[in-house]
Amino acid sequence: MSVPAVELVGITKRFGDVTANDGVDLAVERGEVHAVVGENGAGKSTLMSILYGLHPPDAGHVLRAGTRLRLRSPADAIAHGLGMVHQRFRLFPGLSVAENVVLGAEPMRRGVLDRAAARRSVADLAERYGLDVDPGARIGDLPVGTRQRVEILKALYRRAEVLILDEPTAVLTPGEAAGLFRMVRELAAEGVSVLLVTHKLDEVLAAGDRVTVLRGGRVTGRFPTAGTSADDLVRAMIGRSLATAPTTAKKPPATTGALPTAKKPPATTGVPPTAKKPPAIAGGAPYRLEVRDLRVRDRDGVAAVGGVSFSVRPGEIVGIAGVAGSGQRELVDVMTGLRRAHSGTVLLDGRPVGGARDRRVAYVPGDRAGRATAPDMSLADNLLMGDQRGFLLGPGRVRGRAAALVERFSIRAASVRAPIAQLSGGNAQKAVLARELSRDTPVLVVEEPTQGVDVGAQEQIHALLAAARDAGRAVLLQSSELSELRALADRVLVMFEGRLTADLPVAEATDERLGAAMTGATGVRRPAGESTE
Amino acid sequence: MSSPEPRARAVARLIAGTPAVVSLVGALLLTTLVMLAVGVDPGLAYPALLRGAFMDGNLEYTLAAYVPTLGMAVAFAIPFRAGEFNLGGDGQLALGGITAAALALSTGGAGSFVLPLIGAALAGALLAALSAPLHTRLGIPAIVSTLLLSVPAVSLASYLARFPLAEQGTGLAQTPLLPLAAHLPSLGASTYVTIGLPLVAVLTVLWLLADARTVPGYEIRALGANREFARYGGVRVSRLTALTLAAGGAFGGLVGGLIVLGAPYRFVDGALTAPGYTFTAIAAVLLAAGRPLAVPVTVALLTILQAGGQGMEREAGVPSQLTQIVQGLIIVIVAVAAVAKARPSRRPA
Ligand SMILES: Nc1ncnc2c1ncn2[C@@H]1O[C@H](COP(=O)(O)OP(=O)(O)OP(=O)(O)O)[C@@H](O)[C@H]1O
Ligand SMILES: [Mg+2]
Repeated sequence: MSVPAVELVGITKRFGDVTANDGVDLAVERGEVHAVVGENGAGKSTLMSILYGLHPPDAGHVLRAGTRLRLRSPADAIAHGLGMVHQRFRLFPGLSVAENVVLGAEPMRRGVLDRAAARRSVADLAERYGLDVDPGARIGDLPVGTRQRVEILKALYRRAEVLILDEPTAVLTPGEAAGLFRMVRELAAEGVSVLLVTHKLDEVLAAGDRVTVLRGGRVTGRFPTAGTSADDLVRAMIGRSLATAPTTAKKPPATTGALPTAKKPPATTGVPPTAKKPPAIAGGAPYRLEVRDLRVRDRDGVAAVGGVSFSVRPGEIVGIAGVAGSGQRELVDVMTGLRRAHSGTVLLDGRPVGGARDRRVAYVPGDRAGRATAPDMSLADNLLMGDQRGFLLGPGRVRGRAAALVERFSIRAASVRAPIAQLSGGNAQKAVLARELSRDTPVLVVEEPTQGVDVGAQEQIHALLAAARDAGRAVLLQSSELSELRALADRVLVMFEGRLTADLPVAEATDERLGAAMTGATGVRRPAGESTE
Repeated sequence: MSSPEPRARAVARLIAGTPAVVSLVGALLLTTLVMLAVGVDPGLAYPALLRGAFMDGNLEYTLAAYVPTLGMAVAFAIPFRAGEFNLGGDGQLALGGITAAALALSTGGAGSFVLPLIGAALAGALLAALSAPLHTRLGIPAIVSTLLLSVPAVSLASYLARFPLAEQGTGLAQTPLLPLAAHLPSLGASTYVTIGLPLVAVLTVLWLLADARTVPGYEIRALGANREFARYGGVRVSRLTALTLAAGGAFGGLVGGLIVLGAPYRFVDGALTAPGYTFTAIAAVLLAAGRPLAVPVTVALLTILQAGGQGMEREAGVPSQLTQIVQGLIIVIVAVAAVAKARPSRRPA
């Protein structure tokens, strides 16, 4: 066999008492797509960070094409042809796409940044790999899916020969993810080696050549993807099989009209078991959440949400699908009280949602580092947000409450006093879910609930969302994962360019129909004068 | 849980890694180098500095300087916790001072020192709170508006002391001696150490408690850590920002009042801002690097450095400006460390 493009040899890394990596060996050939999988906190991100020069290992070393590297910083790694797209993006929200991409390797003209050249080369690069981004757009205005493409462009711009992707598809729609993997295979064919960290095992098996499984910081399995099943991987990851296959959707819960016999009646008062079956006439149905002709303009006056109406009943999960940036974010902002609508109303149990965060809505934001957490605050302080009331706040009580949530949601954390940034990505996500799901509110709004969490935790989270529904809460679930929507939602709404292009009972929400609606191909035309151009 | 050995190591690493220690050691190192460069023996200069701060009756002056510096540090620290910079300390000092003087004179001492102090704190609070609507309505950041508003405030105080409130017939830019009833009671036999010391100490402790153990303290910290996170969590962002600025301004105004109601018991134009309490206080808070409990300590360090500077000048022939250089260096080092930390390529999730 030829010399591997990169090789990690005996890598050990400790953070205080936590051993994140424990003697890990990993070799990646030229042109290979090598997947790294494992539970939340297994040490995947740490290993990738060491390869990228972000952390010095306590033991072990890195070989690049057979020679030993001294990686003191990412700059060293970049100089040796390594590129990384982080689980948490590192873009400057105030700068444009092109500026972010060229940052650190700017095309200069007479000593200043040549904006035109930057824009051109970024546009060329995007074109070449079929990535749809506008080089002039401001990062802060872009949805996460697009930001992620910008991160990849950034690595490609630096001619990375080893590309590290840490959970690149956590917030991508299936279409976007397919595009990404086409690009990954293309890069591999050109000789680029790709390290792919993901929790989506079907992606691993479809796009990877080989897989390394980590558990508790150690390698517990190495597989070629050919002839390996998702179950083989799961066993190496958690030491047992999951009850259901991890990536296939669970049996869809109660679709409209059909009441599953197995389901126990809801625990909360006021919601009869038959609430699952929506009455034919709205007159008798107590809607928990009603959105009426909602319109939201963004900063430039463009309609981000252009006349959306729907309602959610108690004990119903309504899914929202759509490619990133179709207005979902703005819609959710209004429903949680974080943004004012231009016109239209949102009613919650008949009363309008307030001008500031409405406490009647529990909300799991999709933007973990930007909105859902304060990365530098302790885990305990992060778990408190939204429940701070009164005046006095006993530190013991705050920590006790946090410890209870950590226990109940099996969050892996060294201490509730440590900054939440020290948690692995999946565990931070679990912390956000723990905080919001433990809140007793009539409405629950969830964006990308399982982003970055491992297969075991995904099941657990789905069960919790189903329990919230069974307790008579109205749940709005925005997810880029169609299988997740199908597994949980009773109805799926599809947004495209700020409008609803479909409202399908889950039984009719096939990939084809959702996909068509997500690209606006439903024959629903937007009225003239509302162009986004 | 964990064995003591790694814990001890972790603690050591934590302490060694703190910016406070880094910048202080760095600054002392640089100071020593500067001393060596100008041919001063650090072995003589440092003891002279300590003597200048503590011995020969100097402790009184050091304590007298500690009180306003600590007060101004809290004035800066409260909005700083919420992510806002209060650079208007001089204006708050001057306005608080002149308000206290005016109230003491106009009531003829009837309000003892309590009424003038309350008035001083309110004046400072109002001035600082002006920055909040400027920020939320006009988008002028507090770091700019507090500084800009400080200039007219200092001028206004100066004008009042020169004309309407001036001592007649002396031609000096100062108010008349304030009525005896408004003078701050001294502690023990000292002239310069007054009940301002326990007052500021108690208020500082209250602030520390509020920061760590109350809901507003928590919300302020959240606001400083991530504004959007706070907004998401239902924090009234604008209102709380205004509140922190007002609270900081109140401390600034109060310190102005304390200075004026202490010896020489009058508002002397320029006497409040000349010692540079505002700047020293900012350096101390930055040095404390986000740990409020460290603020009283860093304030003490810088006050000692400053008070001892004179002794060092007398005994070791080191110009007392050196202490200012050290202060400047501390700020530079802290700023560089902060920028290095804020670079977006640190740690993945
Ligand atoms: N900077 C840090 N300080 C302290 N502990 C850390 C730090 N970085 C990682 N850890 C710990 O190391 C362990 C491994 O974390 P890592 O982020 O590598 O997990 P991961 O496999 O990427 O998990 P996920 O799938 O949730 O992203 C976790 O227990 C985490 O808490
Ligand atoms: Mg990770």
